[in-house]
Amino acid sequence: MSVFISLERVGKTYHTRTGSVQAVAQASFDVRRGEFVSLLGPSGCGKSTLLMMVAGLEVPSVGRLVVDGEAVTGPRKDNGIIFQDATLLPWKSVLENVLFPVDILKRPRREFESRARQLIQRVGLGGFEAKKPHELSGGMRQRVAICRALIHEPQVLLMDEPFSALDAITRDQMNLVLADMLQHDDKTVLFVTHSIREAVYLSDRVLVMGGRPSTITLDLRVDFPRPRAVEIEDDPRFREMVRALRASIQQGHGNVVPAH
Amino acid sequence: MAVPTTSTKLAQQTGDVAVPGIRHMGGRALLLPLLVAGSVLLLWEIGVRWAAVPEVILPSPSAIFGVVIDSREILLRHAIPTTLESAGGFLLASAAGILIAILLTYSEMARQALFPNLVFFQLIPKIALAPLFIMWLGIGSESRLAFSVFISIFPIIIATTAGLSSTDPNAVRLCRALTATEWQIFTAVRFPSALPFIFSGMKIGITLSIIGVIIGEFITSQRGLGYLIIFATSRADTVVAMAAIVVLCISGLLLYGAVSLAEKITDRHYGVPRG
Repeated sequence: MSVFISLERVGKTYHTRTGSVQAVAQASFDVRRGEFVSLLGPSGCGKSTLLMMVAGLEVPSVGRLVVDGEAVTGPRKDNGIIFQDATLLPWKSVLENVLFPVDILKRPRREFESRARQLIQRVGLGGFEAKKPHELSGGMRQRVAICRALIHEPQVLLMDEPFSALDAITRDQMNLVLADMLQHDDKTVLFVTHSIREAVYLSDRVLVMGGRPSTITLDLRVDFPRPRAVEIEDDPRFREMVRALRASIQQGHGNVVPAH
Repeated sequence: MAVPTTSTKLAQQTGDVAVPGIRHMGGRALLLPLLVAGSVLLLWEIGVRWAAVPEVILPSPSAIFGVVIDSREILLRHAIPTTLESAGGFLLASAAGILIAILLTYSEMARQALFPNLVFFQLIPKIALAPLFIMWLGIGSESRLAFSVFISIFPIIIATTAGLSSTDPNAVRLCRALTATEWQIFTAVRFPSALPFIFSGMKIGITLSIIGVIIGEFITSQRGLGYLIIFATSRADTVVAMAAIVVLCISGLLLYGAVSLAEKITDRHYGVPRG
């Protein structure tokens, strides 16, 4: 598989009135087409900053950032993005929220409406198309956000701690939903999380970010076959990976991070 | 007439303001205030008759309503220009106020240059300037319209500015991630989410707009309910003045109701349900 996202010594320094803060020192890694890569690290390690740079929402201070063969200069039309907060427009229905990127990208709604309905069906929200966001639970709203991120068939899916505001049970459900949605897809995914188990369960590769200023401290391949049953979390190899990742995070940051 | 300040209105958000929306009114919530109003009118009627208060001091409600019915044609003739000028002033103030607020939101320089001055202007007693408008623009409709715009525009500007700058930053970031243009962000997110604020500003604006027109008519006019009130009181015709006030209340209610109705229609599309 070919390289789709490529970072070469990408760094980001914020200049504030009180001095400059180096959010990311330098990160170098490649993500291949169709690969699911997680960025794992404690809060404030710069993993979200890194994701925002890939999304074109932040400009790297140094380094070279290439997506699909082109240097990133701003947001790209075929990015799907999901934030920690579902960020649904409260006055729009579920269906209209899912179709929002179609409107922004000025594509004909008619062509995408049946796809929107299919996506809504697949995340388990069939029958909720006309509901407004305030009528949904946190998990349901994030399901809508997943559909919205996928509606315009983007090649890249960028997720910034999408499930960290949800309770543990809902979070497990969301992992299953997401894995299922991407099952027959060759989307390239960059997934930011601070949950070790979530990262291992979902990813083909887990990158640990740490240190201050931060860099990539570990690049771990997760080779469990897909589809993955929830039970793989009881597999000794799964637990060994979780243990290795936790050790790496602790080394990098000096903090004890519990495995969710 | 007590006009709530912009800040308290905004703090309470729409719907929770002094006049609750009809939809929040159960049977009792509608009946109770009507019962109180009815009781006050009844006590007034009884008190005036019992104490034999001269009509020039305080006419009875029945006498006032009698004049409203009997002189309806004259009252209507004066009510029309007052209502139309109030509506006109309000519409101009809304359009200009929203445009100025958009300018203030998008131009940092305009905001820095204008906003402190607007807040300062908001604080001065603008009614004191009414005679100047007559001097500048004469005794016709123009001066009353201009003064009405002048006093009703500030809450609309301030509320709209607050609304436009309160957009969820995540929603803006989502739009940017989707390569949205500034115009798309404005039409798809910023403006719709500012609508509740804009309407709360417009509801204050419409009441101020009526005040502006009435003040103008007080100072110099040959027609309008304000003129009628001044004319009647100068002849000690209290009952006619009171009848004009009743009609003015009806006209005010209609104008406020129109804004409220527009808000409800908009709310159905863009409302953020509470609770």
